[in-house]
Amino acid sequence: MRKLLEFLVSKRHWFLFILLEIISFVFIYRNNAYQRNIILSSANVVTGRIASITGSLTSYMDLREINRDLSERNGQLEMELLRIQEQLEILQADTLLFQGFAPDSTERPFPYDFVMARVIYNSVSYASNFITINKGKEDGISPDMGVVSDKGVVGVVASVSDHMALILPILNPKFNLSCKVKGSSYFGSMTWNGRSIKYANLEQLPRHVEFLQGDTIVTSGFSTIFPPGIIVGTIHAFQKERDDNFFSLDVELSTDFASLSNVRVLRNYRQEEQRTLEQEGRKND
Amino acid sequence: MIRNIIRGLLYFIVFVTIQVLILNNIYYLRIATPFLYLYFLLKLPVGVSNSAMLLISFVTGLTIDVFSNTPGMHAAACTFVGFFRAGMIRLLIGKELLEGAYPSYSVFGTGGFLRYTVMFVVLHHVVLFLVESLTLFDPLFLVIRILSSALLSVVLIAIVEAFNMEAVKNGE
Repeated sequence: MRKLLEFLVSKRHWFLFILLEIISFVFIYRNNAYQRNIILSSANVVTGRIASITGSLTSYMDLREINRDLSERNGQLEMELLRIQEQLEILQADTLLFQGFAPDSTERPFPYDFVMARVIYNSVSYASNFITINKGKEDGISPDMGVVSDKGVVGVVASVSDHMALILPILNPKFNLSCKVKGSSYFGSMTWNGRSIKYANLEQLPRHVEFLQGDTIVTSGFSTIFPPGIIVGTIHAFQKERDDNFFSLDVELSTDFASLSNVRVLRNYRQEEQRTLEQEGRKND
Repeated sequence: MIRNIIRGLLYFIVFVTIQVLILNNIYYLRIATPFLYLYFLLKLPVGVSNSAMLLISFVTGLTIDVFSNTPGMHAAACTFVGFFRAGMIRLLIGKELLEGAYPSYSVFGTGGFLRYTVMFVVLHHVVLFLVESLTLFDPLFLVIRILSSALLSVVLIAIVEAFNMEAVKNGE
């Protein structure tokens, strides 16, 4: 018995090794969930502050204000464009109806709004990447909001702390986005293959959709996260999938993730409403 | 003892800061990232107790994890190499080393230190990238990433060690 105890004590670092490895793997496993632990990420108080300081050092002092104003302006214009596009579509669809009963289209509110934010931490080198921004719960940001840059879709808010939020960008295998080829109404699912930060794959696109190399890929608007028609990228190459009924497209992303600095977080007033409705529908199923 | 702790803390802060603020943003040719913070673990004195070595490497890994949004991955890889460090030194250098000597070119010999570094770095990278790609398996790309990142890390560590004034002083 004493020998056994002595043996165990002399090999105690083995147990410590196994214990520590188990702890590490618990962290890894737990963070495979979509909602992440805010303490162990760059959005907690300490790391967030450090990331925020370095972020402000690296974005050049004079350019920052100008840049922010420009993006804000750009964002307003894009919102305007999307709103007008939607009204136009309604009007086009309504032309056959008796106009006397058509509701005044200007009173139909566009349910999106945006918050400007600065990127304070951004990774592109891992197999699953994350972005941290300097706006959080107190600025009205909550999980599952869409994030876009001047050039296109960036990702989705994964978790928020009081002053910071963690974004799941397209460059993360857990990210999934419903997209379509601009001008058609068939949609596919956008995922990242982990190889290049310039390309992602649009899969499950029906075979009979017609498109050409260089065509624009936009969001489909089926989720509550992004409004329809936000640019994601352009078609770079395509091949048929093995079962031949679907296309798989290589999409060149329009957002340059390596040099991301200002982003807009999209707020959808009706997100909660749509989600509860969908949940209820599923429950009754 | 006190000197060891202060020296260790200094190394930890300097190299973790360099890693987190600068090197984590490097993504050479979109495949390779150097992990210079391993230099801190490499330079811990010979003869640190096994348990202490494990705890130090775990904490180091976890710190890097927290800053680079990869919970657990660096911790797992660092704990793994930390466990094998003493064995590695015994295997490569032999037993006749002074307890408490810091690994360096002059103590291990240039070839010895490089062999030690390569072994340590490659083992760490293999575990790190394997754990990272559990969800996303692509063997060729994985091997390319491991080898290129390991090459960058080893080159950086070799350069830093060559310019480390402490190592030069101890050698005299």
